[in-house]
Amino acid sequence: MTSAADTIAFLRDVRLFRSLGEAELGSLARNLRDVSLKKGQVLVREGEHGDEMFLVRRGVLIVSKAVTGNVEQVLTRLGVGEFFGEMSLFDRAPRSATVQADSDASLLALDRDRLQELIDVNPRAGALLMHALVEVFIERLRASSDLVAEVTRWGLEATGLDFESR
Amino acid sequence: MTDGSAPRRAKLELLVRQPGDDGFEVREVASAPAFVQSRPQRVPPEEYELAVVNSRVGQQRRYILKNRQTDRFLLLSEAERFLWEQMDGATSLQEMATAYVLKYGEFNFEILPALIRKLQHAQLLTMRPASRLRRALARNRRPVAKMLESGFTVLERVVIASRNVQPLFQRLYRWGGFLLFTRVAALACVLLGVAGLVVGVRLWSDAEAVAAGLGTHPVMALLSVKVLFILTLAAHQIVHGLACVHYGRRVREFGFTFLHGFVPTFYVDVTDIFMTSRRARVVTAVSGALVHLVLGSVWFLIAAGSPPGFTQAFAATSGIVQWQAFALALYPFCFIEMDGYHVLVDVLGAPTLKHDALAFVGAILRGHWPAHLTREEGVWIGYVALSTVSIAAFIAFNLWLVISAMA
Repeated sequence: MTSAADTIAFLRDVRLFRSLGEAELGSLARNLRDVSLKKGQVLVREGEHGDEMFLVRRGVLIVSKAVTGNVEQVLTRLGVGEFFGEMSLFDRAPRSATVQADSDASLLALDRDRLQELIDVNPRAGALLMHALVEVFIERLRASSDLVAEVTRWGLEATGLDFESR
Repeated sequence: MTDGSAPRRAKLELLVRQPGDDGFEVREVASAPAFVQSRPQRVPPEEYELAVVNSRVGQQRRYILKNRQTDRFLLLSEAERFLWEQMDGATSLQEMATAYVLKYGEFNFEILPALIRKLQHAQLLTMRPASRLRRALARNRRPVAKMLESGFTVLERVVIASRNVQPLFQRLYRWGGFLLFTRVAALACVLLGVAGLVVGVRLWSDAEAVAAGLGTHPVMALLSVKVLFILTLAAHQIVHGLACVHYGRRVREFGFTFLHGFVPTFYVDVTDIFMTSRRARVVTAVSGALVHLVLGSVWFLIAAGSPPGFTQAFAATSGIVQWQAFALALYPFCFIEMDGYHVLVDVLGAPTLKHDALAFVGAILRGHWPAHLTREEGVWIGYVALSTVSIAAFIAFNLWLVISAMA
């Protein structure tokens, strides 16, 4: 069990909340739920509905997407200070990927209603939060493009397909 | 922009979930091994035609391959036609490269990728994944088959290998390995073999009494012998590697894995030996098997020198297993491409003997009898017949051994 002060100290270092003041961080900390995971445990599954986003406080998580049968492609790994699950808060669509613990991990969960409350009570904090989110989305979009290119290159190399000499 | 170095090979990270959602494993899969393990398959026979073009000037034959679906034509060399015939969906690119070297005595590293590109452009090829057994299990939805497939998958991933083993083998060779390739060692091997054979025959005449020494747990004792035997497979592979170094070639890889997910095996990649003489290839192939001859003979001598009891029975059983391994490794007629098979195809100059023989006999069994048998077809029938009889005899012999031990 961690104290509120520890949680606030952690949130201060999280990129997403760096623009928030002490009062807003305190308010946020009170609305977070602790989640613990054992190594190998699945937290969210692709296709399920969810209304929470998660912050990694300790450990490493693997984000993967189903490819075929019991095989999934690893999209990325998330470490301390990183977050995921925010897409479901905005578009209410099913989870786009599965997230599981690569080591024992602890996380903080923030649900849609609490996030909305935070924005309603402190619109300035909400705006800063959204700005930080957009920055992270852009980074992830760039990383996804790189991954698509890498996967395509893998396919070409593994099958011997060659378009350069066509 | 380029820095002149070779481009980095792409890698994929895959998460493989275990049955029942009981954890997962993350595997990094590089594109290069996926390529050499791929098994290209040509389109069905009704979708292509192959015609020979005899040159009036040169000696070389050429072939025209036509895709009957798209009316696209390809001109193939003799070597390319040879590789095309291998593309049956069961033969990996690595195996094709080996067959190519055995047939032509050299290897052009660009020929396979170039041919695959040509064939793919002409839509004459499909790419399919690995083992037939695994494909059959994957198709089978019964729980037992799924469990087996999952188990094989887990075991198949166990690969402990190194590609940087040449320095180690060179050191082993310098530190005494070279002695194995001297006349004295050859003579000692022959003498041990003869002594082992004589002693083994004597023990055989008293087999029941010797087997009785295994006591009340003969099956467990036999399993212990088998486990000990698996360890000696490492020595077998190491000697192959030393032979490769002896002839000045490079050992490319050494490791341990579960072949097809269920056969524990050590392996060594000595394909560089194909760049040397046939004598070097034969010596390299045979030398590994001789490890079993030597060990088997030593076990028989230990058994002969031991009083009746467990030690004698264990040593005698180990001797039998080692001699079996020696015979099996060098015996070419067993459908398994072991050392003896490689020597046989090298001597016959028929690198695809098993493949061709099985295809031919399969066609006969389906009712396609040829009007006249050629010499080559006779060899194919002989290979399949001898292999079938040999395997039946081997199974019967081992069953008899186990039953005798338990009686």
